[in-house]
Amino acid sequence: MNPPLRRLIVGLADSKRLLGIRYSDWTIGAPSLETDISLASMAQDEWGHARLIYAMLKELDEDPDQAERDRPAAEYANIDVLDEAAADWPSLVATMVLADGALSVALKGFAEGGFELARSRVPKMLAEEEYHAPLGAAWYRRLASSERGGALLRRATEEQLPAVLAWLGTVDEERRSVVDAKVTSSPKVQLDTFAADVGPLVAECGVVIESVNPASEWDSGRGRGPGAPADEAVVRARGDLNRALFVR
Amino acid sequence: MDLREHVYEVFARKARGDRLFHIGWVDAFDDETARIHAWTTYSEEKWFEMVVVRRDKLVAVNRWGAGFDSGAGSGSDTRSGSVR
Repeated sequence: MNPPLRRLIVGLADSKRLLGIRYSDWTIGAPSLETDISLASMAQDEWGHARLIYAMLKELDEDPDQAERDRPAAEYANIDVLDEAAADWPSLVATMVLADGALSVALKGFAEGGFELARSRVPKMLAEEEYHAPLGAAWYRRLASSERGGALLRRATEEQLPAVLAWLGTVDEERRSVVDAKVTSSPKVQLDTFAADVGPLVAECGVVIESVNPASEWDSGRGRGPGAPADEAVVRARGDLNRALFVR
Repeated sequence: MDLREHVYEVFARKARGDRLFHIGWVDAFDDETARIHAWTTYSEEKWFEMVVVRRDKLVAVNRWGAGFDSGAGSGSDTRSGSVR
């Protein structure tokens, strides 16, 4: 067992799983039929990738099935902003840009490290979701260009950004351990990459990424802030209802 | 917010050397979004190649006011208010 590596894997997998749920929340109700379909496709990507990342736990002699299906909400290590469903469309667009963007940066760092399963599996994941960032950016720009949409988008961005920055950039003992072991890139590298990726975009609704402080509360056991996903989301993430229907 | 979207015609071929077929259309507000919508909407095949073109950029050769020009798909080129 390697607790820092386990924390890294579970944080990535849980974030993928919860992001898929958040996309699926809007697959009937996005602003256009085509966007509904794109979100359905993105949800499938995230769920498939989550399964592949959970499966990396086998390498640590841990049963991935248990991690996927039998953990309580309090053990979930997803990016905090995925705990609750997006309140409105601008909030989901902010999540597409910030949470999905941060996950891609973290995965890229993982793919470039020395953990063989990440080196072999993650590049394909990143290629499969190459259209996530452009779709988020297109909607972000579109909303930012309108007075009402821009105001809602700015509020959502300001609400989500501190937790995303903390998830990506907090340095603690576990994080230092995986960076020192060259399993993943450093928080500074990841924050710089993230700022270069999304900084110009969030500036379009008046947010200066360099002036936003990361959230200060931190749970080093899980590698995220305090709190947990809503029970309803965890029921979906674990597939509890499937089991109630005798499916697996 | 500008709700205007454009209709993009979608063409694809399954394999290198196949003819390019018109497979449908999508509504989108720019080329980049049209690419994404086309790729995710018409994902029933593993396409070798897919292209999109904005309907109002097609140049009629012999039939004006017919075919693509008259909205063979979902209507005229600009779809003001098509966003829900």
